[in-house]
Amino acid sequence: MAALAGFRAPVVWILLAIAFFTSISGKPVDGVLMLIVAVGLAWDAGRRALRHSAAEEAPARPAARTGGRRRFAVIALLAAAVVYAGVVGSFSRYSWPATAGIIGLGTIVVVTGWHRPVRARPDGGRLPRAGTLAWLAALVAGCLWELYALLQQPSLTTDSYAHPTISTLTDPLLATSPGRALVLLGWVAFGWYLVKR
Amino acid sequence: MTWHWVTIAGYLLVVAGIAVLQLLAAKTRAPVPSFGDLLARAIRTRTGRVGVLVAWAWIGLHFFAR
Repeated sequence: MAALAGFRAPVVWILLAIAFFTSISGKPVDGVLMLIVAVGLAWDAGRRALRHSAAEEAPARPAARTGGRRRFAVIALLAAAVVYAGVVGSFSRYSWPATAGIIGLGTIVVVTGWHRPVRARPDGGRLPRAGTLAWLAALVAGCLWELYALLQQPSLTTDSYAHPTISTLTDPLLATSPGRALVLLGWVAFGWYLVKR
Repeated sequence: MTWHWVTIAGYLLVVAGIAVLQLLAAKTRAPVPSFGDLLARAIRTRTGRVGVLVAWAWIGLHFFAR
């Protein structure tokens, strides 16, 4: 019952849509993981809604490190990110070791952000409507263009030269170990940026 | 121009649009939020925060995982 109340959250429906389309595109592991997060998020949101505590959230973690310790932590994290990218990038794409590396880090990041933000941020107020709509238009246009290319393929699992998806365009870069390591480093850096927001 | 290049031009157009919006936000007084502002707004709630982090995780899964 609680989960049903949680299904009012749009994010849950977006995750369910991703789970569905990912599964029919031949990536059942992705689909199952997205489904688990969607149901978990719905249950969590519903549980909090029933408690009438949707606005309550655990406060951000206090900044514990200062000065030299903080610098050491940043250097250690940077080194760990480089090692991670090098090791996971050395595995073939779609192999089980690469899958385990991605799922492992993804789980750590999602669980870290689930309960509370890492850093407290002041409320930035309302966003300008026109500018926000412009951003949404650009992002939706990108998604629709990718979807159009995907649907123009001979099948959902067969690439098309005439209508390449972003995955197809990145295949040459991701075919090499250094290319994979570089992209993984960017992926880790973006995840770090999101967690710190 | 073949469909291959038309498709790539479409992607480049979207990337250019995003770059222009970010520049407008950062360098002018136009009423355009930056990408960081949008993210900050999206992750104010738990569902938004988890949704953004899962979207990030999905990118890694999509390109590398089985």
